[in-house]
Amino acid sequence: MAAGERRLLGLVTLSGVAAGTLTVVQMGLLAWLVAQFLVAERVPEDLWPAFIALVAVLPLRALAQWGQEVAGLEASLRIRRRARAALLDHLVLLGPVRLASRHSASLANQLVEQVEALDGYFARFLPQLRLAIGLPLLILAVVAWLDWLAALFLLLSAPLIPLFMALVGMGAERLNRDQFSAMARLSGHFIDRVRGITTLQLFDRGRDATAEVHAAAEDYRLLSMKTLRLAFLSSAVLEFFTSVAIAVVAIYVGFGLLGFITYGPSSALSLFSGLLVLLLAPEFFQPLRSLSQHYHDRAAALGAADGLVAVLNEVPDALHPEAHPPEPAIDEEIVSLTGVTVEHPGRGRVLGPIDLVVSPGEVLVLTGPSGAGKSTLLQLLAGFIGPSSGQWRRSTQPRFAWMDQRPLLILGSLADNLRLADPQASEARMRRALSRAGLDELLSELPEGLETRLGERGLGLSAGQAQRLALARIFLSASPLVLLDEPTASLDEDSEAWIIRALSELAEEGRTLVIATHHPALMAMADRRLALDEGGRLAAVTGESDRG
Amino acid sequence: MVDPPRVESARQATLITTFVPWCRLLARRRRRLMAGMALMALTLVSAIGLLALSGWFITASGLTGLLLAAGVAASLDVYVPGGGIRAFALTRTVSRYAERVYNHDTVLRLLADLRARLFGVLVELDERTLSRRRASDWLHRLTADIDSLDSLYLRLLAPPTVAALAILALGGFLAIWSPAAGMVVLLVLGTTWLWLTVGQALSGMAASRRQVSDLERLRSGLMEELQGLAELLAYGSLAAHRRRLEDVEARLQIDQRRLGRRVACGNALVGVAVGLTLVLVLWLAALARQTGSLSGPVMVMMPLAILAMNEALVGLPMAFTRLGATRAAAERLNALEEAKPGGDRNLEPLPPGPLAVTLEEVTLHYPGNLAPVLEAVCVDIRPGERVAITGVSGAGKSSLGGLLAGRLPPTRGRVLLGAVPLGWPVPGSLAQRVGLLTQRVDLFDDSLAANLRLAAPDATETRLWEALAMVDLADWAEALTAGLSTRVGEGGAQLSGGQARRLALARLWLRDPDLVILDEPFAGLDAETASHIAARLDGWLTGRTVITLVHQLGEAVDPPAIDRAMTLRAARLGETARYLS
Repeated sequence: MAAGERRLLGLVTLSGVAAGTLTVVQMGLLAWLVAQFLVAERVPEDLWPAFIALVAVLPLRALAQWGQEVAGLEASLRIRRRARAALLDHLVLLGPVRLASRHSASLANQLVEQVEALDGYFARFLPQLRLAIGLPLLILAVVAWLDWLAALFLLLSAPLIPLFMALVGMGAERLNRDQFSAMARLSGHFIDRVRGITTLQLFDRGRDATAEVHAAAEDYRLLSMKTLRLAFLSSAVLEFFTSVAIAVVAIYVGFGLLGFITYGPSSALSLFSGLLVLLLAPEFFQPLRSLSQHYHDRAAALGAADGLVAVLNEVPDALHPEAHPPEPAIDEEIVSLTGVTVEHPGRGRVLGPIDLVVSPGEVLVLTGPSGAGKSTLLQLLAGFIGPSSGQWRRSTQPRFAWMDQRPLLILGSLADNLRLADPQASEARMRRALSRAGLDELLSELPEGLETRLGERGLGLSAGQAQRLALARIFLSASPLVLLDEPTASLDEDSEAWIIRALSELAEEGRTLVIATHHPALMAMADRRLALDEGGRLAAVTGESDRG
Repeated sequence: MVDPPRVESARQATLITTFVPWCRLLARRRRRLMAGMALMALTLVSAIGLLALSGWFITASGLTGLLLAAGVAASLDVYVPGGGIRAFALTRTVSRYAERVYNHDTVLRLLADLRARLFGVLVELDERTLSRRRASDWLHRLTADIDSLDSLYLRLLAPPTVAALAILALGGFLAIWSPAAGMVVLLVLGTTWLWLTVGQALSGMAASRRQVSDLERLRSGLMEELQGLAELLAYGSLAAHRRRLEDVEARLQIDQRRLGRRVACGNALVGVAVGLTLVLVLWLAALARQTGSLSGPVMVMMPLAILAMNEALVGLPMAFTRLGATRAAAERLNALEEAKPGGDRNLEPLPPGPLAVTLEEVTLHYPGNLAPVLEAVCVDIRPGERVAITGVSGAGKSSLGGLLAGRLPPTRGRVLLGAVPLGWPVPGSLAQRVGLLTQRVDLFDDSLAANLRLAAPDATETRLWEALAMVDLADWAEALTAGLSTRVGEGGAQLSGGQARRLALARLWLRDPDLVILDEPFAGLDAETASHIAARLDGWLTGRTVITLVHQLGEAVDPPAIDRAMTLRAARLGETARYLS
């Protein structure tokens, strides 16, 4: 994922190095100025160019810092956008049948939250990882040039840090996992109680439950404090080394300047070099400290990436239409199946063998007990899945309308919802489609008419109204083939009646209808009736002979 | 023309009022918060002290070394500053560690307070408010909102307070040697502080407030595409829908970019402001040294002390630029509190025994709906009578049940139980007399026994077994290795739908109410079990007023011994033909 943003991520590192270099320059100027005042006894007025330079470094350094952050942000934004698009493309490729078995709310959550969780890793952790190696080396070089013994102190303490952090980290890792599950349990507990609030109220147990919620959170606190005490040790180690390095350098430099240390390079120390070494000591550790601050970004991103990779690793199964593409239809037929079977992985054969030709203008009704493969046959006719064996042909321009028990309602206006079926639909056509679906009464009650917003904070449609909206979409679309999966299930009588009337209108228009249903009135509309048995086999075909 | 200052102050007022209840909640732990801030301050003081004293020491030893080299007799006490440096190094580490542990402990305590407080609010809400908010994404948002508020202290209160105090203290400290340097610190760093808090907050307010709702819109858009893929593919409108999604995402990213840039600006500003203060103070200190009012080591100490101020300011831009998100979370949670029904929960004592039920011209109209669910419904049910009310799904049966159990206030008209009108809000004590089996069964992620004891906290184990036997679950429960301690899983996930419903019936039996309202009591049960249970329930229901809400009578198994049946249609309740059992 990061590969595509290599240039931006390189820019982040470059800016980080620039900011680090400018920090060294700033510190150098500061130490030089002090030495000029105190050792060379010069007056501030003579040194104004150095002051100007010091002031000039500030905006440059700020710019580099800003550039580092903004480039990291940009890279992260692009990576997130691409990751989301790739995931969504992949899910769409899996097709509606595969997706139906997935909890779409949690998938959507993954695509939002887990993708967002990648932010810190790409924007901060990854660039900082390079800086945490590069910048300390730069500073070490400067310090070594000033005083190699001081550099040795820093060098010696540096490898100890990852060592200590690893030791502490290993212990914290396990605890961290416990912590994660404890956190999940606590959230689960809270959500569980909120979800059941009605029952708590019905039994007047609100007060007890509130106390319980508090107690659960207290338990969680006690548990997680154990983890945190250990987890914070790793940052304390860093903190300790930073502090000790400053202290050791200060005392070493001080003693060296006093002439107490007679060996090594310390006799060559000046106020300038001594002060600069002191100023650079904390900067040596700063990149590592930043890295450890971003460490939880890494943990969050890794956790999220696991979930996302799992989605990407789902491959289309053998039922994917690409696995067994249809041949073009012959003559007038819309779809033709010969000896076709459908086998679901793990569930065995759900449909077939079946022979069926869907011809233009006919009304075909599919009946059979639940689980007999009616929906599977519709999915096959729609081309959402392909057959496991047998021959199939579909007309090359398979335009069709689809309606099942859960019609799609998008967050937007009534018109937006209708335009799904035809983006160019005029207002008059949309009104006409609504009225044919029996929604003109509803429309007349809406002050904003077609522009009324649906969904959250908007108009809530009943199940029957939503179904009739889907029906209006069918009217709006010119699709010759209409596939309907239990269009009247669990509807009120009024909506049911409207749908039956509308479907017969569609049939009169000459559209081809394939309806999976139990409803007697719909069955009566059929030119042909296909009864499937529990094994997904064709049990009976009636009405075949009626057709010429 | 709009008067900008006034607009600004109005916004401030609402911002403050938004946070007032939460600050009040934090204030209950005032002492811990103070102690946490003191530890933060101690860490900062140690950091400043370490750098400043080290600078002082190096300069002093450098100058002494020069004197010694020049053959001048000079001496420097190395032990006191050396000890000081070591002490600061140690306190910095220890206080930082202690501060982190202590403050996280505090945050977790606050989290417990917050959750309990919110839960306390939620259990007071009425059915209408609750039912709009039961979707799982709402629940996740709720927990996320709570989490964002628990960091109120650690991100938004403690750091700016400590930073402000540090600026004041440092200004005062430097003023000992150079009042001008002290003033510079106060002016430059003080102004910076103000910008980093108030300025950053205002500049990021709108964008960060929008974040959650934009993410929400993206989430629902994605859900549309995943759920409605069949229709989108059929109509060939997948690409169009994807464009809508991309628009939503683009808007979200514009805000994220804006916020990220503001934060980056704030962070850059910290560097510039601290650096500028440092240069100015160095200049002033150098001038002061010329006049002899301060020594060389002090001259070095002053800018180094300022250098350490970076640490105090560096977290502020991020926290305050995103204040709007915390504000939005607080607003959403405040809105919950406002939805809490006000008024006293009083109810005249109800007469003992089975309760009569009367609806007088009851209309129920949900806000936002075009038509009322119930319109001028009148009904009289005698004590001990058993009534079935039928109607298609969505006809308002469950709403009627909610009205009778006192869970919903009627828009117009009165509900009377045993001739006592139900006021609003209804006190919890009504739950002793009225039992409602809801259509959706709520089981908690706890043991079987705990789920049953919700209805009767003091019930003995024998009684629990009796309850299970009542609903034909005793044999099943006996076969479980953990028996009554078996956990039912989240929302009762370990049980089948039918078992869950029977458990809910057993719970109602334990409660022993005088008015029993059963909403689809046998949904999800096979005919055999249903008829068993119906027969057992029959005896228990004798001598109680019973209202059963069902889709249709005469299907698989009817509720036991119905005296009268009514039908709910087009928001009105009509008597159906006398029902003979």
